[in-house]
Amino acid sequence: MHRIRLIATLVVALLMPLAVMAQSLDAVVADSIDQIEKPSRRTVGPLVDRIAATGPQGLALLQAWADRQLVLTETGDLLIIDGDAATDALTGDTLAAPDDRPLRPNSGVRGLIESALVASQLKDPDPARRAMALDTLARSGNADQLAPLRAALDDPDPALAARKARLEKLMTIQHGTDPAARIAAIEAMAGDISLDFRAVLNPLLATRLVADTDMPQGNVARELSVGDDLPRADALAALVDMGALQPFMTPDEQRTALAANIVDGRVADTPVADLGDSDIRDTTYDALEASGAVPPAATESEAREALAAHRFFQLYAEPDRDVTDAARAAQVSAEVRLVAMKGVDLGLDALSLASIYFLAAIGLAVTFGVMRVINMAHGEFIMLGAYTAYTVQTLIADRTLSLIVALPLAFAVTFAAGVILYRLVIRHLAHRPLETLLATFGVSIALQQLAKNIFGTQARPLTAPAWLEGSITINDVISISSIRVAIFVLALLFLGLFLFIMKRTRLGLEVRAVTQNPGMAASMGINPDRIAMMTFGLGSGIAGIAGVAIGLFAQVTSELGQGYIVQSFMTVVVGGVGNIWGTLAGAALIGGLSKVIESLNPANTLAAQTFMILFIIIFIQFRPRGIIPQKGRAAEA
Amino acid sequence: MTRTPFILRNKSVLPVLAVLAVFTLAVTFLSHAYGNGAIPTSMVKVLGKTLCLALAAVAMDLVWGYLGILSLGQMAFFALGGYMIGQWLMYARTEDIVAASLAQNPIPPTPLELQQATANQIFGVVGSADLPTTWAFAHSLPLQLMLVVAVPGLLALVFGWLAFRSRVNGVYLSILTQAMTLALALWLFQNDSGFRGNNGLSGLQNLPGLEGVGQAKVSVWFLWASAVALGLCYVLAAWIVSGKFGSVIRAIRDDETRVRFLGYPVEGFKLVVFTLAAMITAIAGALYYPQAGIINPAEMMPIASIYLAVWVAIGGRGRLYGAIIGAVVVSLLSSWFTGGRAPDIALPGYVIKWVDWWQVALGLSFVLVTLFAPKGIAGIFDLMPRRKDKA
Repeated sequence: MHRIRLIATLVVALLMPLAVMAQSLDAVVADSIDQIEKPSRRTVGPLVDRIAATGPQGLALLQAWADRQLVLTETGDLLIIDGDAATDALTGDTLAAPDDRPLRPNSGVRGLIESALVASQLKDPDPARRAMALDTLARSGNADQLAPLRAALDDPDPALAARKARLEKLMTIQHGTDPAARIAAIEAMAGDISLDFRAVLNPLLATRLVADTDMPQGNVARELSVGDDLPRADALAALVDMGALQPFMTPDEQRTALAANIVDGRVADTPVADLGDSDIRDTTYDALEASGAVPPAATESEAREALAAHRFFQLYAEPDRDVTDAARAAQVSAEVRLVAMKGVDLGLDALSLASIYFLAAIGLAVTFGVMRVINMAHGEFIMLGAYTAYTVQTLIADRTLSLIVALPLAFAVTFAAGVILYRLVIRHLAHRPLETLLATFGVSIALQQLAKNIFGTQARPLTAPAWLEGSITINDVISISSIRVAIFVLALLFLGLFLFIMKRTRLGLEVRAVTQNPGMAASMGINPDRIAMMTFGLGSGIAGIAGVAIGLFAQVTSELGQGYIVQSFMTVVVGGVGNIWGTLAGAALIGGLSKVIESLNPANTLAAQTFMILFIIIFIQFRPRGIIPQKGRAAEA
Repeated sequence: MTRTPFILRNKSVLPVLAVLAVFTLAVTFLSHAYGNGAIPTSMVKVLGKTLCLALAAVAMDLVWGYLGILSLGQMAFFALGGYMIGQWLMYARTEDIVAASLAQNPIPPTPLELQQATANQIFGVVGSADLPTTWAFAHSLPLQLMLVVAVPGLLALVFGWLAFRSRVNGVYLSILTQAMTLALALWLFQNDSGFRGNNGLSGLQNLPGLEGVGQAKVSVWFLWASAVALGLCYVLAAWIVSGKFGSVIRAIRDDETRVRFLGYPVEGFKLVVFTLAAMITAIAGALYYPQAGIINPAEMMPIASIYLAVWVAIGGRGRLYGAIIGAVVVSLLSSWFTGGRAPDIALPGYVIKWVDWWQVALGLSFVLVTLFAPKGIAGIFDLMPRRKDKA
């Protein structure tokens, strides 16, 4: 029995729109032309629905009506005007624009028409139009459109259905009238960290400062105590605003008032020359006030009295306490998740920065491990690699190909530069690390100026191939640019390559031997000079690769290397010498730390760098030999 | 017990003082203010500044040439000294100007108003109107003069203590001093550091209260002051490096571990010399920047300190006069070449402009000096035939 009733209801429900639709636009308009001319907000609803039900023509009429482009001529025709042209709303014929003024429905009526339009668009058979209607709603939805949205929640397209459901919740929170429904919507969305949800919550939780002698009416967020969580100046300003206190006088106003009352070089019997003191100014002003020459101004004691007489509250704009409680809870949970997400995002950023530092520092670490010398020109090798890639890019138009050519070429060029530097300079300064440091510094300034002379001082762009542009976005918070992912992969690649060379090749064995004990290695038939040259070349080559990587996201200038050299030194020092894992740890520590400090104060990257360097100086106090120190005889060298 | 006075025992002190005196007198009598005007005032300033740089180089030599610490942060102390004196110069002068403009008002300003207006004038450029706490003493010349040596001295003391006690030395220490300098420079670059960010302090060439004197005389006075400071500090440095103290610090340079095993408090010696050198450098900076007229954090970037090391190395480290020679020769040559006054060399097909190529030449010559003439320019004196050996 129940089932039959249900089916009957359904059938009626399905047939009703059909019954409405059966009416033609002509008939509807003819029926209620008076109401179209002079609509009333209370009664126009059914008419709008009937017009909307007639189909596209009816919708066009409604749109024109809402946009104030609908003209009712004296002959009783409805025309839609568009600039100088006009079309008959019923027949679709094109006519000349009439002289009559368009109909001007009031905003209430227009709201009704708009929601009817949205409602019909939301049910449009074309998914693209439905999506467009949703976009409009999400951008500028109002309370009137909530009901049509709710009526159109079913959607054959699952993605659109999900969007509709989500939008319905957001609009319920914003515009709903039933507190229970709003709370339910808020709770259903709690933990969502998307921007639109947070944007909906914020106005609910907006507060204003209210001063009152007693507990005020309304939804009180909390009471503030002056001095602790409400600055005294703000409290006084609030009291002045509500008229409970005379405005305070600024020193400037006081001075102007005093200056206006100078008589024969005296103000209220005080010589002008004495007024260079704020206490004397106050007493002089009081004297003027007593004589009635100036308006009274608030005194400190009045301010104290007023403060004592009032309590200060934060009042929610939203009147319903349950709603604000739910919103507060949802906001807290959203914030917690947001912090976690930001943590992940920060981790990704730190990882990519660490990869860059790793690439930049690994060459330094190796040469320092083998020869105990710091190559101050290392930064210029990074620059050299970047300029090599830039030169290749000017010769080969295809970005992907040029990058593929540039990477090995940058390695080769800087490898050669490193070997030349070793043969010409460093070999002759063996066992004099400070002299080496200075000599390589000389090379560094020469190379930098040389680059300026050749490539000019302006920054040269190194363009990444199209497939490296853009970024991988997980959600509103977490995203990472593809270039940084590529650099991370590059760093991993070189870590692997480096480990392979060091652990699996003859060269690596010899390098490790020389690092541990050069004298013993030499007596075993290893040529330390050749090993040193090879490691120097290898370290320089990796610097060149790092240069290409850095150039992809930063501009290539002659000072490119300078920006990374100190960080690279720090990485080596913090990580510990002669161990690739130490360099990795150092890079991770420095990269992570810079990002964390930066995120604490995003506006001030300079301060972040300062604090990081200070941290490193203190870190050295506790681990003077780095995170992974060298052990044994080599450590004493 | 007749000991030869120290000044006579050290063979370089008297010649250096004599050269310095002759130089100062010569410049004075050729200046606009006190002589025939053969040397323009701007040149007098350059020479005065060069003397300050020479003083910084002497301190650098003390630390590097004698103690063996290649400090790449000396210019931080130099600039800090400049900032400390600059605070007073800028504050006092701005206060004078502000007071003069406030005096136009019918009512005399209160001290607070005067201070606020001055602060607003100084810090308006970095969007602040309050006097930072770092400027608490800026109104007082004696206090700021004290800070000129106190602040860099304290910084050197704390940094040195931290670094030396954890036995950081060699290349590590150089990198660490460089990091300290960079940290300080980056901190000063911020607008809210209390030192006007990258605007720095300016108008330092105008001495408050001496506006009527004119730059011609003031620059000669600063030349004298710089010469006196250089002379005194040279004697002080020469006295330190001679005698037992000097032997110990040279021994530390040559083999620190052995000196420690002999029972000497190595860290204490290092700390004393490092701090003293920082103070001397700060004095040099305090004399330099009023002649330069402007100071900003870029002056403090690590590169400046490395140049100082370059001068000392080219001049000849391990001898105090070598540092002076290096600083004077290289800094004057640098300003001559980069000033665009050096004639270009026209090669077939390419014109070598010194403005572009000086840096390259300097870098390469530096490599060559390190490789082939580790004693620097001062090594020439070794080649001279010795007259009579009195030592």
